[in-house]
This record gives sequence, C-alpha cells and structure tokens, in this order.
Amino acid sequence: MQCRNVLTRIDALRTRELAPIERTAVEAHLRTCRSCDASQDDVEQLVHAVKSLALVPPVSCKDECMDAVADSFDRVGDVWVAFTKDRIRMIRAAESIDDIRQPYAKKYGRVLEQGTIPATLRRQVVAAVEGEGVDTPKVDLESANDLEHDVLQTLTRIPRGEVRTYAWVARQVGRPRAVRAVANVIARNVVPYVVPCHRVVPSSGGIGNYIFGSATKRALLSREGVDVDQLDALAKEHVRYIGSKTTHIFCFPTCRDAKRIQDKNRMPFRDADDALESGYRPCRHCQPVAA
Amino acid sequence: MKNSWTGGEIARQADQGGELAVAVHRCEPGAFERLIDRFERPLFTYAHGILQNAFDAQEVVQDAMMRAHKALTRQYDEERCAALAVRPWLFRTVRNLCLNKRRSKRSALEESLESFDDGRLGPFVSLEGSELERKEEVELLRRAMALLPVDARELIVLRFMEEMSYAEIAKTVGQSEAALRGKVFRSLKLLRDALESKGVAYAM
Repeated sequence: MQCRNVLTRIDALRTRELAPIERTAVEAHLRTCRSCDASQDDVEQLVHAVKSLALVPPVSCKDECMDAVADSFDRVGDVWVAFTKDRIRMIRAAESIDDIRQPYAKKYGRVLEQGTIPATLRRQVVAAVEGEGVDTPKVDLESANDLEHDVLQTLTRIPRGEVRTYAWVARQVGRPRAVRAVANVIARNVVPYVVPCHRVVPSSGGIGNYIFGSATKRALLSREGVDVDQLDALAKEHVRYIGSKTTHIFCFPTCRDAKRIQDKNRMPFRDADDALESGYRPCRHCQPVAA
Repeated sequence: MKNSWTGGEIARQADQGGELAVAVHRCEPGAFERLIDRFERPLFTYAHGILQNAFDAQEVVQDAMMRAHKALTRQYDEERCAALAVRPWLFRTVRNLCLNKRRSKRSALEESLESFDDGRLGPFVSLEGSELERKEEVELLRRAMALLPVDARELIVLRFMEEMSYAEIAKTVGQSEAALRGKVFRSLKLLRDALESKGVAYAM
C-alpha cells in the first residue's frame, strides 16, 4: 500500500472502521514507514485538540421550542380540558391522562402539560358540562377546514332542550347531500359539551351514538329537558315532525314551539312533503325544511 | 495518546435516537425536551462551524428543531420514526438550513472571515499548560478553523467533535465514505497548515 492511501486511512483505522483486509495492510505499512507512523501521532494529537472547540449556544432554544409545541391541560370537574391562552382546544372524560394526551397528540401533534385553565374558559366548560348554554364558546377552530368550521358553528346554534338531525345540519351548512360527511365531522368534534354535538340525532329516530356512549347522550339530553322517551315513541311510529292544527306550522318534535302545541291540536307527519301538501308551512325557528 | 472509543461504541451511538423519535412522534411528555437536550449543543457547534456566527447558528438550530418536531409528529408515521437515523437526519437538516442561510448572505460572510485573522496570539502551547495558556490555545485553534474552507470545517466538526462514523457522515453530507476519508484527511492537513501559519508545527 502506498503512503497516500495509508494516510487517508489513518483516521478510519483509529476508530476501527476499516475492513479487516485494509486494516492489515495499513498496519503493515505503518510498521515499516516512519513518516506515516509519525503522521498517525499527529492526527491523534490534532484530533484531541479539536475536541476542545465544542460550543454551547449562548441561549438554549428549549424554552422557545417547548412553547411552540406544547399546550396546557387542566381538570374541570369530570373532564380534561386542553387549552391555549384564550381558547378551548379539546375536552375529554377525565380518567387517565392519556385519555386526552393521546387524542391531542394525534389531532394536533403537540404535547400537553399540566396548567391552570383561565377562569373564563373554566366557567364555560362548567356551564357546558352542567348542561347550561354557552352562547359564544371560546373554541379554537383554527385548524378546522371550512366544512368543519361551518358544522361546528351550526351546532352551537341548537338550543338547549332541543335536538336536530344530521340531515338538518347538512342542509344548514349548504351541503344537503353530504349528510355522511357532516356526521363524520360531528363525530370528530374535539370539544364535546361546549360545542353541543349531543344535540344531533339520526333522522331515522332514536338517540344515535356519542363519543362518551349512547347512554351518556341520553342522560345529557334528558337533563337538558329533552323528552327522550317521547323521541323513542315517535321513532317507532316513524313520526319526524309535529304540526299544529291551529297555526298550520310544522316543527321538529323537540322545537320549543312544538312543545307548546296542545295534545288535541298535534298533527304528526312522517315526512316534510306530507306536511307541505297538507298546507302546513315549516317553522321558522327550527327550520325543518330549508327556508 | 490512544483513543479509547471503538467501532462498537460508534455503532451504538448511531443507534440512539430511533426510540426517541418514536417518543416524540407519540408526543410523550418530555420526549421533545430530551431530543433538544441531546442534540442542541452538537448541532449548534456544527452550525457555528459552517456559519461562523453564533446568532445565525442559534436561529438555524431552533428552526431545525421545530422542523424535526413537525416531521416526527405530523409527517412521519411511527414505523418511519423507529427506523430513522436521527443524528444524521438532524445534522442534514441543520446543514441544509445553514447552506441556505450562507447563500443568502455570502458576501457579508467572506468579509468577516478576512478580518478574523489578526495574528495577535502567540505560538501554540502544550496541553499541560495553565488555564490561561489553554484558553489561548483554544482561541488559536478557533482562529485556524475560521481560516478553513467551509467544507473542511464541517467535516472536522462532524468527524472529530461529534465523533460520527464515516457511514453517518456519508448520510449527513451525501457523499461516499471513500471520498470522505480523503476529504477528512485533507481537512486535517488544511487545519495543520493554518496552525503552522501561526507558528504551530505538525509533521503529518
């Protein structure tokens, strides 16, 4: 092996990164060549000296980086709430911390650290979980796409004690045929309670599913004043709307106007076309048919 | 003085990171902090080696950490994170960011390099010297480094300060190991020459 080939391998020899056959050749050469052997020592010395050049940044980027990737969470009653300075970002039932950490990581790709939730946000969460209305929920919709944004906004307009159907929400956001897509958005709602996704039920009747289970949805709705047993009964009869014989207006069964109709004046309808053909007009409050 | 580390140790060092990457991917508490703790200083040394400017180097490292976090949590799936060679990947990110920065302010950089070498310091002193002598020696080395071309500086940092294997350097800078062996040796030679111009002699 020639000197110039040996010199370029001295450093790799030092760290045992040479193939055995090369190593043997280099070592054999070093035993006989004085100048290469001297170079080996110089390399060692220089390499050692260079190590002292390691630097430490004047300021660590850690704080700024962590601020940029971490949010806080806190416990409010029975739920975990993830939040930023002035927005609620996620709500989950509080059992294990992973119940919120994992979905949060999946949804936002961010870390959660224990913190203290600002009083205004805490009040909103308490009110929402208690079943009281939250007029202008401080919810972070920034990462939501247009459809998600519209759907979640629409949900906040469903009054306490009433329910709407997935098809109704789809119509409200101007996507009447995208019921399935809308239902998916509702199912993925990251801030249950505050954005009242529990107030949406299937058109076919019944209560439907819920992030915390059907039973919880049922309990939540009855606490808010929805007569869930009556909803079940109507579903069995395939009744979707209730009309008033005196005003000739028809509503969703849980509409506050429908609840005021006296029993003798109640007129059940199985679909909106029947109602329209019988000379009834849709209620302006619950809008059973698009205006 | 004989070096104590072995190929086995190099290989083990290279393996570190896959698990950490998965932990970051899962947003495990403290995982990203561990990644920063482990890599911030080496990356800063590397960035400084290329840019010769602490402020820019710091900016690049922070940018790289944020990009790494985004990639690990939002772009790569768990399998890819587990298989990732984290160190070369991070160094490559820093390298690209440094080269971008350098390209955009090249003229300013070359100017600062010329004014760097004012030759005020005396000859190289032995390692066994006093604290003050040692400081001067380090300063002298630093100045010698600043005189090298950027690719030589970069290889010296990767190979001798970060102690990367040739395989890892190959992954970081995108060249073959054989070519790198030659370049590393030439870089050392350049450093020796730079030191020599300041009165420190090496045979090599």
